[in-house]
Amino acid sequence: MSDGISAKTKGRMALLMAIVTIIGFGVLIVRLFNIQVVNGEDYQYRATQQQLREIEISASRGDIYDRNGNIIAKSATAWTVVLSPVTIKEEKKELLATGLSEILDVDKKTVREAADKDTSYWVVKRKVEREVAEEVIAFVNENKITGVSCTEDIKRYYPYGSFASATIGFTNMDNSGAYGIEAYYEKILAGNSGKIVSAKNAKGGNMPFKHEMMYESEDGNSLVLTIDETIQHYLDKNLEIAVKEHNVGNGAMAIAYAIKTGELLGVSVKPDFDPNTPQAITDEATLALLATLEGEEYTKAVQQAQFRQWRNKAISDPYEPGSVFKIITLASALEEGIVNTGNVFGCTDAGVTIQGQTITCWKRGGHGQQTLSEIVQHSCNPAFVNIGQMVGVNKFRKYFEAFGLMETTGVDLPGEAGSIYHSDSVFGNIELASSSIGQSFKVTGLQLISAVSAAVGGGYLYEPYIVKSVIDSEGNVVEEYEPTLRRQVISEETSKVVAEMCEGVVTLGSGKLAYVPGYRIGGKTGTAEKLDKNYAEGEEKYALSFLGFAPIDDPEIAILVVLDEPEEANYGSIIAAPVVGAIMSDVLPYLGIEPQYTEEEQAAGNSKVPDVIGELVHDAHADVRNSYLTVNVVGTGATVVRQVPEAGTTVSKWSTVILYTEEGDAVEEGVVPNVVGLNVKDANDMLAAAGFSMEIIAEDPEADNLVAVAQTPEGDTALAEGNVVAVEFEVKKEDQ
Amino acid sequence: MAAAYENENIPQSSAEKSERKTGLKDKIKNFKRIKWFAKRGPLDVTFLTLVLLLMAFGLVMLFSASYANARYNYGDSFHFIKDQIVFAVVGVVGMLVISFIDYRVLNRYAFAVYLLAIVLLIIALILPPVKGDFHRWINLRYFGLRGTFQPSEIAKFAIVLLYARLIAAYGEKMKTFKYGVVPFLITFGIIAVLMLLEPHVSGTVLIFTLAAIMMFVGGTRFRWFGLAAAAAAVAVGIFLIMPGGLSYARERIDIWLDPYVDPQGDGFQTIQSLIAIGSGGIMGKGLGDSRQKYLYIPEPQNDFIFAVVCEELGFVGATIIIILFALLVWRGFIIAMRAKDKFGSMLAVGLTMQVGIQTLLNIAVVTNTVPNTGISLPFFSYGGTALLMLLFQMGVVLSISREARIDK
Repeated sequence: MSDGISAKTKGRMALLMAIVTIIGFGVLIVRLFNIQVVNGEDYQYRATQQQLREIEISASRGDIYDRNGNIIAKSATAWTVVLSPVTIKEEKKELLATGLSEILDVDKKTVREAADKDTSYWVVKRKVEREVAEEVIAFVNENKITGVSCTEDIKRYYPYGSFASATIGFTNMDNSGAYGIEAYYEKILAGNSGKIVSAKNAKGGNMPFKHEMMYESEDGNSLVLTIDETIQHYLDKNLEIAVKEHNVGNGAMAIAYAIKTGELLGVSVKPDFDPNTPQAITDEATLALLATLEGEEYTKAVQQAQFRQWRNKAISDPYEPGSVFKIITLASALEEGIVNTGNVFGCTDAGVTIQGQTITCWKRGGHGQQTLSEIVQHSCNPAFVNIGQMVGVNKFRKYFEAFGLMETTGVDLPGEAGSIYHSDSVFGNIELASSSIGQSFKVTGLQLISAVSAAVGGGYLYEPYIVKSVIDSEGNVVEEYEPTLRRQVISEETSKVVAEMCEGVVTLGSGKLAYVPGYRIGGKTGTAEKLDKNYAEGEEKYALSFLGFAPIDDPEIAILVVLDEPEEANYGSIIAAPVVGAIMSDVLPYLGIEPQYTEEEQAAGNSKVPDVIGELVHDAHADVRNSYLTVNVVGTGATVVRQVPEAGTTVSKWSTVILYTEEGDAVEEGVVPNVVGLNVKDANDMLAAAGFSMEIIAEDPEADNLVAVAQTPEGDTALAEGNVVAVEFEVKKEDQ
Repeated sequence: MAAAYENENIPQSSAEKSERKTGLKDKIKNFKRIKWFAKRGPLDVTFLTLVLLLMAFGLVMLFSASYANARYNYGDSFHFIKDQIVFAVVGVVGMLVISFIDYRVLNRYAFAVYLLAIVLLIIALILPPVKGDFHRWINLRYFGLRGTFQPSEIAKFAIVLLYARLIAAYGEKMKTFKYGVVPFLITFGIIAVLMLLEPHVSGTVLIFTLAAIMMFVGGTRFRWFGLAAAAAAVAVGIFLIMPGGLSYARERIDIWLDPYVDPQGDGFQTIQSLIAIGSGGIMGKGLGDSRQKYLYIPEPQNDFIFAVVCEELGFVGATIIIILFALLVWRGFIIAMRAKDKFGSMLAVGLTMQVGIQTLLNIAVVTNTVPNTGISLPFFSYGGTALLMLLFQMGVVLSISREARIDK
């Protein structure tokens, strides 16, 4: 054996050792640094992706209530029917497809094809009611079919159907808000879904101990709206009828607004939709059009129609307000002291010429000499143009802005649009002329109603809002929304003058059809020609509107009705005013506003039922109303097809006249109450409550101390509702 | 297993026979000259400490890495660690005993061990394969025992032992082609062919690397390493023209370059390993808290145990373990440099490098630095025979350290 190791060998050893330890292990450490430190987070993410399993604990969505606690939207359990095609036996597939298509109302062919798919999950139908799901399970069990299951799901229910649909909105398949309040208050309604995070091994089993965490879910809170179900119902019904009466081409809207707070009491938009089935097109004209389309064209048209019916016209679509805006012009001029009630304005055939541009009055030949009140009643264009010129460009702009017409209202709804108006640089006297009569600029219905409400309601401009409070699942109030006063635009005194002048419109002027006996209603008509599109002569399109408010001495509620592109060119005074009148006649008593009858209206006595068969519903409504009778419209047709009592019947004042608008509306049978021994008022109230009209038979129907002594038909007999019960009255004897 | 080691007694007797030819007197003389146990110096405490440290780390990590798999697949969390502890105890005792034996005894049995390795490799080829189509293991069932045994473990040791003997015997003649290359090439060639037939490419590469290192240290001229490189190229060429060889290699390389080409198949193990290592970050998830060991990494107790180490102990812990291995290699070389004779020195180099190279390759595979191939991590990976062989070989290194010439 050689003694010891040579230096050369040692050198080779040292070289090797260096290579292995320094270079070899060095490279590995660098490599580890790269993986663990440089890219550590990336790998950590990948690790989490495969190791963690999240099971969502869904939070239940809050409800939506109207201001009186009626449920507008509510979530409830529903079922999803699911196929696992790979586990369905071949011989059962045909039977399965037939059965499911019948129970679930789905396409049989689609189900049959799905059954052949190489997958273990295929949704047949979502959000199925419990009874239907049970039917499916029963069918499957009975026929021993494998591969069908029903899994739990949440469905949103809207008990009132199309009620304020564009405002309430609807939820998506995943139960998140898609439109309207449902979308705007998504965070509050949805709550926070919780989850269980657990670690799983590669086989999907749970890892033992300590790798589990639970995050509790928080249920969503509920909303209480400022909307009043009853008022909304009146808006919806009357607007629906109005659209039919006049074949309104571009939709319509109605807003009921609380003047003293900015609360929205109702917002109705047509066309609307049923939020239970938001995809379904409701507009009949659109449906007829869709029937003629196919393929891509059809899909596109359906989509357009859906977006149209989901659109909240009242806040998203600015329009030219026309003469309704004259209230603002008037308020500005009065506040500035430029005009006063003593002024007299002329209106001739020549109209008024501003820098070579002539604006004539809508009335051929002009109105002649008029007081300030009269120009409001007449909605006289040249007079208002002149007032505008007197106010001047700068002050007009100042008030335009002060009334909130240059900003969005800030309402708590998604998709609010602002106004469109002349920019400062181009706003000269010509623009001022058209602007002062509400033409050549656009505002939304909501902007207009809040501005006018300020003008007639003491000058106070409020921020409109629709959610009154937020409550938790136990009903405790979590948050209360108070009215927000934006600013006072004009003085209370000026405002009072404006309101009173508007009353003249309804009692004496263009708004007569909005009159409701017993109530002091003010208002203004609007007939705006759509100037932004060039329509051929004779085919001009109009937006007809009426804005009414009441009561004059202390305005509480404003109602704006806009009918966009009625079939025949017409005036707001003729077609929009009676709609507001009809709504007012229902809403004002509902709100408990004390009637202030004129002496003539106050007097007891009989009234003759007018003949309104064949008339448009709202015209008939105004006719009957102004005959000192109460109206009850049954159905939503455009014309009156039947009336009870018949025309010419003599009934006591304020008896109900039922107007049937649809053929075949069943006449309800009632039991006549016994009113013998009662005075006129009590007898009438009792009969009206049971659905009957009363005819007073007496020597002097207007005498005091009348007592019923006989009635035909007698008490406790059956009679079709709306019929007349003749009651004989005699003057009560002193000694009795 | 333990019995397998005793098998070495069989060729031992045949070696004795050959020695009988040289005459009984010589034999007696030889025995007198080299006693099995002689009074010798103290062993290298540093090296022993490093071995014991790595062994301890290895056992702890094996338990941590294996218990999820053991519980899921065997219903007993201790399934793997129980066996391993027994082997570790037997191995450490064996190591200490061996450290007392004069390593020069081995010189005598170098050829015998080499022949034994060849016989075992042939037996493995004849017997039905244990896993897939691989004849890498001998199922001890045929010998009335439990478990499997990997002949390449003996082959590695056999080459190191034989080369140490040859290099010590040839001395300066190592510079010539006749002595410095030919015998080494032939003896390696036989082993390599048998192992490639198994096939066991990673084992062949490991032995080839060891052989080259020993020749290099032993004094073979640099120029012959050019030849060795050529031989390696030929070996690779042969492998590639073997039926299916090319596509097999291509697939391996594709997976290496981007494991995500087959994330659920061949790339799965590598991806899971990288996720484990990467998600450990700097400080790791903490001992016992690996998530990837929950059936994500296939057989985390075997070749990929280092991935679990990285996940639980982080970059810091992994680096400490790598440094321990590096220190072991360094200390092994110190022992080799101080060895009393060339045989001992070469033996120390070979045995130390075996641990070093195997560790390098294993971690390189686990970190996807080189293509995936089956190579275990010394002291950490599960495997009884491999652990026994390893510890016994460490015993040999310790034995060499007892006669270090420090004072000269």
